[in-house]
Amino acid sequence: MPTKSKARPKPARVRAGAAAPPLHRSTAPRPERTVTLRVNGLAHVFEVGRDLEASTTLAWLLRERLGLTGLKTSCGEGACGACTVLLDGRPIFSCMTLAVEAAGHEVETIEGVSEDDPVVQAFAGQCEPGYGTAVQCGFCTPGYVMAARGLLAENPHPTLEEVKEGLSGHVCRCGCYAGIAQAVLHASEKAGGRGGAR
Amino acid sequence: MRAPFRQRKERKFIGGYRPRIDGLEKATGRALYADDVSVHHRFPDLLHAKILRSPYAHARIKAVDATEAEKLPGVKAVLTFRDPEVARLRPTSAGWTDGVDTVSYERMMWKKFRDRRVLDDTVRWVGDEAGVVVAAESEAIAEEALRRLKIDWEVLPFVLDPLEAMKPGAPAVHPEVTATNVLSPDPVGGENVYLTKGDVERAFAEVDVVVEGTSTYHNANQGSLDHWCCTAKWERDVLTIWSNTYEADQTRMHVSQMLDLPLDKVRVVCHYVGGQFGRNDTGEQPFYLFTALLAKRTGRPVKFRHTRREAFHDSRQPAIYTGKLGARKDGTITAASFKAVGNIGAYADHSMLALKFAPAEVAEVCFAHIPNLKMEAYGVYTNKLPACMMRGVGNSQLNLVLAHVVDLLAEKLGMDPLELVRKNFGHQWETLPDKSLSAVLEEGARRIGWAEKRHAPGAGPVFEGTKRRGVGFSFHPGWHAAWQELRRGQIQVSLRLNPDGTVLLDAPTVETGPGSNTCNVLGCAEALGFLGIRPEDVHWIASVDTERSLKDTVQTDSAVSFLQSEVMAEAALELRAKILALAAEKLGAKEEELDVVGGRIVRRGSPEPGTDFRKILWQGDLVPIVVVASRKPLAEKTGVPYLGAFAEVEVDAATGRTDVLKLIILNDCGTVMYASGAEAQQLGGQVAGVGESLYEEIVYDRATGVPLNFNWVDYKIPTMADMPDIEPVLLEVWRGAGEYGACGIGESVLTCTPRAILNAIHQAIGVRIDDIPVTPQKILAALRAI
Repeated sequence: MPTKSKARPKPARVRAGAAAPPLHRSTAPRPERTVTLRVNGLAHVFEVGRDLEASTTLAWLLRERLGLTGLKTSCGEGACGACTVLLDGRPIFSCMTLAVEAAGHEVETIEGVSEDDPVVQAFAGQCEPGYGTAVQCGFCTPGYVMAARGLLAENPHPTLEEVKEGLSGHVCRCGCYAGIAQAVLHASEKAGGRGGAR
Repeated sequence: MRAPFRQRKERKFIGGYRPRIDGLEKATGRALYADDVSVHHRFPDLLHAKILRSPYAHARIKAVDATEAEKLPGVKAVLTFRDPEVARLRPTSAGWTDGVDTVSYERMMWKKFRDRRVLDDTVRWVGDEAGVVVAAESEAIAEEALRRLKIDWEVLPFVLDPLEAMKPGAPAVHPEVTATNVLSPDPVGGENVYLTKGDVERAFAEVDVVVEGTSTYHNANQGSLDHWCCTAKWERDVLTIWSNTYEADQTRMHVSQMLDLPLDKVRVVCHYVGGQFGRNDTGEQPFYLFTALLAKRTGRPVKFRHTRREAFHDSRQPAIYTGKLGARKDGTITAASFKAVGNIGAYADHSMLALKFAPAEVAEVCFAHIPNLKMEAYGVYTNKLPACMMRGVGNSQLNLVLAHVVDLLAEKLGMDPLELVRKNFGHQWETLPDKSLSAVLEEGARRIGWAEKRHAPGAGPVFEGTKRRGVGFSFHPGWHAAWQELRRGQIQVSLRLNPDGTVLLDAPTVETGPGSNTCNVLGCAEALGFLGIRPEDVHWIASVDTERSLKDTVQTDSAVSFLQSEVMAEAALELRAKILALAAEKLGAKEEELDVVGGRIVRRGSPEPGTDFRKILWQGDLVPIVVVASRKPLAEKTGVPYLGAFAEVEVDAATGRTDVLKLIILNDCGTVMYASGAEAQQLGGQVAGVGESLYEEIVYDRATGVPLNFNWVDYKIPTMADMPDIEPVLLEVWRGAGEYGACGIGESVLTCTPRAILNAIHQAIGVRIDDIPVTPQKILAALRAI
């Protein structure tokens, strides 16, 4: 679960290896540096040079090394939002974040979100007449779900305008914008928010 | 709450509002896409392929020195146009793999325009695939290897503008196909003047009023988030390809014929696809082949995936249209002519489908009551990115001029344009006014407030000192109705009824987003209504695997929502007969004495409640009852339904900014297969519809031909905050052949949007903008000109 802290995360720093346990106790050459990432509540230790480079993005590491393929990489430059994960409870673009920057922080991906999460349920179930569905091809959906969860954690009672503004860093080319907005408002309602669906 | 649409005929599941069957799978991130099944986590020995991209608008590789690239640690193979396994490949056309059906190399649609080579030594636009590809341990290493290549380029003269390209002496883009850059007439598209009726010249001379207008459609990108990719792996002599193609069977045919492999040795596997929109109808297809060759050479699985930049490898076809209408004073249109010049870019692909084939289909129905008609089109090569298939191919461009000249004519005649349209357009299966078109216009006018809001162009009230408002509309015939399916081969589905009453539905189609999977499940439950089966009891097999699935129904023509359900309706009858035969055996009765109603086997005429069919099945050998159906789609011509868009805009004369205040999107569907999905199409299509109208355009540096905005920072796709309020309106007025008589709407939902907005802008400010996107600069220039 995202932390409830309203404080902005500290500027991410490379903390590679600092607190991580050594990988080997044998006579094998000691790795120069390791990076520990907490992902969905589990700690993972990576060896720089073998598992990742300094330039490896968080998105790449999560998808390629951990097989967490719920997040998608599309634009690769922070313009579509498909790679959104939560870092200490706040949505970030994992394609624009270096893996080493996430060291020491709590990363939550869509795989860490329960199926009965109100946002997941609202996205999956949206079929209110006049607003279409919140999902079509589904490629952008996990990114939207994570961003919406981040938005609701910060503002549990958003208005429609606030939802639009809050999610405008994302692109859904299938164009489920009306359905997505309804889903977020419904999820807010379900969680006891005041904003409510139109 | 908004009012739901009302069904013409009440059905149990078809036409309902309900969640998508894949909603939860997608919202939890569990749905797998081609990019997900090919990560290093699953393929630890995966290699990545990267292809050299042309830095020039037109050039030829004289020599390649790959020594330094090959030396780079991590580089596993460098393949060039000189390698024998590449050089022997036949020239091809990306229009081969048009989706409607599986076709062979010999029968491809555009045989005359086989202008693509796999790893060509000649490049024809900045960003074109050039003749070298590298496989390496990582994408970064592959990219570095490409940088280390020493290429001796012969730079050739180039041309970007289609009108320039048509002039004598212009650089020839494909001298092997045409010396003039103009594609010659071909058997599918027809002559340059591809449709004539009556005597247009004489009719124009005799009419009371003539109007003429032009429209320019620039190129937009399809913009799928899920970049086109494939992963190729050989196991002994079997090649497996995982891809986000939308046509598994055709991809198998493509690879089989180009690489000379038997069909049973090529296996294509498709999972969910993150948006299609026409993207891989055309454009770059050789990557399937060089990726397979690299996998063969290295003995390892190889993946190729477009980057965001490379995803700009195909676009909507830019077209310059001229339209002319002639009418009597009473508004009867007696003459019409339309001429298109299409900038097809560097490769012909399907351009003649956009320029001739699709408009001819529109003209056949929509202009049926206009006695004198001439349709003319030219496809012109230039050194820009190839431009062809995008949602609503060919229709969007024609609509931009059609509703333009209609609006011009109405203005000149002093008539309400809605009245003018009702009076003249329909189809030959019905007398005027067309019921479907009338319903669309009436409902649209009511919802936008047509009567109250219309005013003389530029003469409405002023808001906040500089802002003016206007309303406009556009209309178009539904185009992918029954008879467009003539070209399609058999549609295959199988129903496997398990002894516990659940159903495994193999209705293979690559689910690219439109929700035909949900339509299929609803269609299956509807067809098996006599078993009392609910959609929850039907399991739709999501992946298409050419080794295991039936042939996939290709996800084009906006038609899959109903094509497979029509076949299921027939398959269900066969299933019913099999159940009754089994029941007769188990109950010791004659088949004709029995019936199955609401899931119970009953004796005809008996008041007894009968036996649950599951009980009967459970007494048998527990082998599922299987029905496999395969038949041609219905192609009976029964006319077409209509669609329309009504827009209200506010234009700020001080800044040139246009805000769309309201959009009404109307589609007569024949039968709505799945209401939530259909509304999602209507709403969703407007991201491209509004985007193409106001923001989206690929911009080139004219001096070099370098495209300047192949990324999503500079190429503007509307986000949630940019979109207007949209009302989706579903209608059931027209009816096609078959159980449902439906018409797909996935593409047509955005066909009318640009011109509806342009006509509304004219209403607002009194000047006409003829090309899209309507940028503030164009508005200000037009206002300055008056």
